[in-house]
Amino acid sequence: MPIERVVCQWCQAMNEKSAVSCRACGAPLDIKNLVSESGWREAPRIKDMTEIHFGQSTCQVEGEIVPVAEINLGPGDSIFFEHHVLLWKDDATQMSVMTLQGGVSRVLAGMPFVISVATGPGRVAFSRDATGELVVLPLHPGMELDVREHAFLLSSHHISYSFVRIKGLRNILFGGQGMFMDRFVTSNEPGLLILHGYGNVFERVLKPGESILVEPGAFLYKDATVTMNVEFQQLKSGFFGGSGMSLARMTGPGRIGIQSMYIHHNTE
Amino acid sequence: MTEIERTYTCAWCNTVSDGTALSCAGCGVSIDVRQTVTKSGWIEMPGRHDMAKIQIGNSHLQIEGEYVPVADFSLAEGDGVYFTHHVLLWMEPQIKVTSMGLKGAWKRLFAGMPLIMTQAAGPGHIAFSQDHSGELIALPIQPGAAIDVREHIFLAATSNTTYDWFSTNVWYTTRNGNERETHYPLGMFMDRFFAPTTPGLLLIHAAGNAFIRHLAPNETILVKPTALLFKDPSVQMHLHLEYPRGGRFSWGLFSTWYYRHIWLRLHGPGRVAIQSAYKHMEENGRNIVSYSPATQAQW
Repeated sequence: MPIERVVCQWCQAMNEKSAVSCRACGAPLDIKNLVSESGWREAPRIKDMTEIHFGQSTCQVEGEIVPVAEINLGPGDSIFFEHHVLLWKDDATQMSVMTLQGGVSRVLAGMPFVISVATGPGRVAFSRDATGELVVLPLHPGMELDVREHAFLLSSHHISYSFVRIKGLRNILFGGQGMFMDRFVTSNEPGLLILHGYGNVFERVLKPGESILVEPGAFLYKDATVTMNVEFQQLKSGFFGGSGMSLARMTGPGRIGIQSMYIHHNTE
Repeated sequence: MTEIERTYTCAWCNTVSDGTALSCAGCGVSIDVRQTVTKSGWIEMPGRHDMAKIQIGNSHLQIEGEYVPVADFSLAEGDGVYFTHHVLLWMEPQIKVTSMGLKGAWKRLFAGMPLIMTQAAGPGHIAFSQDHSGELIALPIQPGAAIDVREHIFLAATSNTTYDWFSTNVWYTTRNGNERETHYPLGMFMDRFFAPTTPGLLLIHAAGNAFIRHLAPNETILVKPTALLFKDPSVQMHLHLEYPRGGRFSWGLFSTWYYRHIWLRLHGPGRVAIQSAYKHMEENGRNIVSYSPATQAQW
């Protein structure tokens, strides 16, 4: 007799029929997917104390206003993360540093020079510093995801981390996200990536050639296939000259994620 | 047998709906929850179902998210909205964006208010949000009615409402030696939105939670100036200063108030709304040497 399974609408993972939340991303399976008429899907509101499984480890999501990701690392599993997101850890959890290429460029661009690594067994917990949502993105083999700098909370060691330089002077100056974006790539194994989005997080899948204009400070993540170009719109106001507005044109195919409490950048 | 009428008057925005829906047709708040009123008479803004929809003529608005809610307009051909700088979240490429010039540009410039409003015309989708957590308040404005909103609170309004601004006339001047400094606890100006002929919709973003109350004629209440969200134009306001005993530090010729209260006194009749996460006013503690019409008390 075939075993009945429930597919998670957020990450497509298969779950047992009796499960109330997805084993891979924590999304509730017993509530309706919230999609706006304009096509934005709200990131699933992960219920307090939901457990997520990856490798030999688990992640428990605690709290709802500024959620905490508490990781119980299995032996041999590890995660990496930026400075300033560590909330607490067990004494026994092993810590090390992942050295990165292009250190000088990263320092000049205001990005972290070192990425820390925690290795199991042991517990370690993370949170950011503002109201928002944890966005749990299980990455399947062969996926490439670009993330706004300082938005990633932690990633499992199955995912390789690099950074890509944002192309074009206009994109750097008016794109509101500096010179680099973080890039997460999976090879043969699936991995877990957790971001913290400020405010509420929404995702939309763009078709090939379809484009949308987004406030650059609202950009959170995108598939590597989505292109981003900043456009400047001049708004005139007679004697006073007016004002300008920069918007990022995101063109598909692929996913794009935005946050509603965006990081404002100066456009004038 | 006659059918029982199930009309519902929203305590938040006064819109009368048929009472069969889960959300108020005018402002989108939930009507299937019990109204929360404090013992002192403040009505807490009822929660809103995520993705609640509000119909505005041929266009509609969907409110998405709960921490920092997004106002997602679906504009029909010929419909439009205007908004201040820095609240645009995303828009479809076919939306036409232009600037709307404002009178009194010099005064606005000196008062730190936006010089231009941006207007967007349909058809297409356009969405707005603020950059801090709180509640998104949709305020329907009936034809002939107006609402006064404190500066920098406004998010967006439909094009059939007019925008104007007026001097608050709430100020005080402090002196330090020969230096004088004028303070505007409410800001120099307030925004006024008016719907001349057809019902309009105004969107504002409250920091924290929002509360409303209806003041009876001549009823007054004191609120912190930066907590005020909006009021009916019939509500009058002026400064109220309170000096607690022992709140002043003096040493020789030097004296400073390290503890005093600067309030806004609101007089009914009409609605007033406040936000819970208000900004603290900068207070230099210097002696107040002149001020706009005010009441005073010592205790």
